[in-house]
Amino acid sequence: MSPPLLLAIALITYGSRAATVVLLPRPGPRFETVLSRIPAAIFAGLATATLLGEGGTLAGLPILGAAAGALVATPARSLLLCLVGGAIGYAVGALGG
Amino acid sequence: MFGTLYGAAARGILGGPLTLLSSVIVYSGALQFAMVALLGVGTAALPLLLTALVLNLRHLVLGAALRSRFESGPLGRAGLAFFLVDETFGFAIAAGNAVEPAAVGRTTERTLLVAGLTLYVAWLAGTLVGVLGGGLTAVERAAGAIFPVLFIGLAATRRSHVIRALAAAVLTALVAWLLPGLRMLAPVVAGVLVALPGRER
Repeated sequence: MSPPLLLAIALITYGSRAATVVLLPRPGPRFETVLSRIPAAIFAGLATATLLGEGGTLAGLPILGAAAGALVATPARSLLLCLVGGAIGYAVGALGG
Repeated sequence: MFGTLYGAAARGILGGPLTLLSSVIVYSGALQFAMVALLGVGTAALPLLLTALVLNLRHLVLGAALRSRFESGPLGRAGLAFFLVDETFGFAIAAGNAVEPAAVGRTTERTLLVAGLTLYVAWLAGTLVGVLGGGLTAVERAAGAIFPVLFIGLAATRRSHVIRALAAAVLTALVAWLLPGLRMLAPVVAGVLVALPGRER
């Protein structure tokens, strides 16, 4: 890989980050309502994507255990408790695997 | 941790200096790992650029979701934009949700900056350790559990959005299964699709 190609990739990456943050005017109430729903949905999607490997294969038992542990903790609405639940789930999954 | 894995994986393909430079100016774990994987199988420049475009499309949505919370002018937002990655977006949104409406803008921006700088420094330090030959074999498998747990925790912080979050998870799995090439983009596609219908807040 040449330095100019790496620079082009960096510019594409920064441009995609700045495009809406810098250039988009502050959205109206209706658009803002839709935007407010997006983060939780994207996080759930990202969690799912990280549990799936190439070809739709599932992650290993310890990682699935960690996800299950975090899910069990979700009623608490606390990121910290989800992390603790995930750690416990990982340990249980590692013992089982 | 992931920076070290990246540095160790990339140094044989990019060489030490370019591996470090990539972390300094790109700062995108998903894209950098994909870039190294593609270069490892001899991919040419154009497919690499197209991959960068596709993998970065999600930033448009993440940026739009943050834009409504920002109060800084264009220059301040341009600086903050560099630190927009999946994890910092999550921390910034969660921090903004936890404060009074009047403090949302300031809190969101400050959290994005602090989390972004912290992760950036960790990413650079990790890359350097990997380039210098460090390894984390013992914890490599555990590293794979961090992101699903983090994202589940972030998705769960808003009770009113649980149904949409579940729908997005199912839709992501379907897209990833039916169109494996779009696996990295699937969460954003699903997130936007489930956010559109309905009038309630």
